[in-house]
Amino acid sequence: ALRALCGSVRGLAAAPETHFGFQTVTEAERREKIYKVFESVAEKYDVMNDSMTLGIHRVWKDILVHKMNPSPGTLLLDVAGGTGDIAFRFINYVRSVRERQLQQKLKHHQNLSWQEISESYQEDKSKSLGDSQVVVCDINKEMLKVGKQKAQHLGYSEGLSWVLGNAEELPFDDDMFDVYTIAFGIRNVTRIDLALQEAYRVLKPGGRFLCLEFSHVSNPLLSRLYDLYSFQVIPVLGEVIAGDWKSYQYLVESIRRFPPQEELKAMIEDAGFFKVDYQNLNWGIVAIHSGFKL
Amino acid sequence: VRCQLSPAHRPLQASAVLRRVSDEQKKEPLTSSSQQQFDSHPTDHQPEQEPQGPRPSYTGQGGQESEDYESEEQLQHRILTAALEFVPEHGWTAEAIAEGAKTLGLSVATAGMFHSDGSELVLHFVSQCNTKLSELLEQEQKLVQLGEAEKKPTDQFLRDAVQVRLKMLIPYIEKWPQALSILLLPHNIPSSLNLLTSMIDDIWHYAGDQSTDFNWYTRRAVLTGIYNTTELVMMQDSSPDFEDTWRFLENRVADAMNMGNAANQVQSTGEAVVQGLMGAAVTVSN
Repeated sequence: ALRALCGSVRGLAAAPETHFGFQTVTEAERREKIYKVFESVAEKYDVMNDSMTLGIHRVWKDILVHKMNPSPGTLLLDVAGGTGDIAFRFINYVRSVRERQLQQKLKHHQNLSWQEISESYQEDKSKSLGDSQVVVCDINKEMLKVGKQKAQHLGYSEGLSWVLGNAEELPFDDDMFDVYTIAFGIRNVTRIDLALQEAYRVLKPGGRFLCLEFSHVSNPLLSRLYDLYSFQVIPVLGEVIAGDWKSYQYLVESIRRFPPQEELKAMIEDAGFFKVDYQNLNWGIVAIHSGFKL
Repeated sequence: VRCQLSPAHRPLQASAVLRRVSDEQKKEPLTSSSQQQFDSHPTDHQPEQEPQGPRPSYTGQGGQESEDYESEEQLQHRILTAALEFVPEHGWTAEAIAEGAKTLGLSVATAGMFHSDGSELVLHFVSQCNTKLSELLEQEQKLVQLGEAEKKPTDQFLRDAVQVRLKMLIPYIEKWPQALSILLLPHNIPSSLNLLTSMIDDIWHYAGDQSTDFNWYTRRAVLTGIYNTTELVMMQDSSPDFEDTWRFLENRVADAMNMGNAANQVQSTGEAVVQGLMGAAVTVSN
């Protein structure tokens, strides 16, 4: 009986406790539960995003890419990028910047020979993204599958790759990427500190870390309305649209459990980033944190 | 217990590595601040890369930590200086800053540290030019004090100072109109105005202005007007070596000098007229 007790004590000690929404679970359990959540919502992920946020999530993601202001030639790693929203926006942005660059170049060279003109068209075709690339990394196979399907459907193929990987242990070399983004994903990472350290590792010197995530609303009136909406409306939408009340209950609870802006800022600084700052969107419903590896 | 330094005091490791590598290759002297004069030897022996626990900061607020680490501000200055090289091609934009960062071995994403409208680049450049101007004027003053050069008359001094300062714009003259428009953006006006007024003040100081009356304001206002108008003329000047601009400058400075004389003359004439009237009144009353 004593041995059994020791065994169970050892078992408990070996499994660090963490949270899954408002429940307390071990880290291993949490990872498994979250995997199952996204496995089940993957198909309806985009539809649910639109209905829960009334389409505003598109604006948030647009703002994130605008803030990034990527120039052609940027290598982006989009972690927890699942269905590819950030990746597609990145590609669009870089493409339009590149077009503008090429137009400006043509403007300067007024007297071109036919040879030069044809050469410039060829260059256009081969470098419409100007060597920019985005790698979408996600831990969940289902989310990646949905993402790849979307890419095919929307016609994105160049400069895009999909990798299965864990944010806490990225399958990439050091000093590889110019920008690392994680949009609405870091909340689901079990060891945020490890993910931040990995982000630091894979970024080039001077590289930028950008995190878009639900955060803390300090305005009390707004906070009450937000809570009301979150706990009363969202799980219902989840049940009606995706047939999955529990996953969306988890979603809402996980938002409440996530560290607020200043705390996340401190964690990012701990990982070694400089010039860490955050920008509240919609009074703190969402926040973009940014840091540089200097 | 976290023996971590607060962000303001942590050294920038990545940039330290890059600088060390470039130092090794070029063996350039360290850009240490004046407080580190005892550390004037080049980086032949490499100090520890890792921070050995909390370091005492040698300076007060976020200044240089030790000879091999630099603050964020210094890194930003280095990036902006490197970016100036790309301005003729890309203009005063975030792209030029990104290219500058690339030459320092940093990712293009570093340009995200700055405003996307290129404001900081222009302000940095203007500030750099003003500093250079001050140094030149100071050197000139030293030469005069040592007796190795003649003290110039005021109008020539002003002319030369403005000319030297405007000549610094020549490499960037094509994109300078863009820079001017950036300097006039509402959120930049406090800084750009500050830079302008301190430069004009500097010039007058070295010109020997010691006025303590309203002249102080008049002189600075006049010189500011001369500087701004000459700058605008320079924008659209296509004469060889900007001759037209320098002639314009000469005329404006001469005008200003005459105006000063005219003002004095008016005052003395006015006084003379008043005295004449008083005399007439006394005569009439008698």
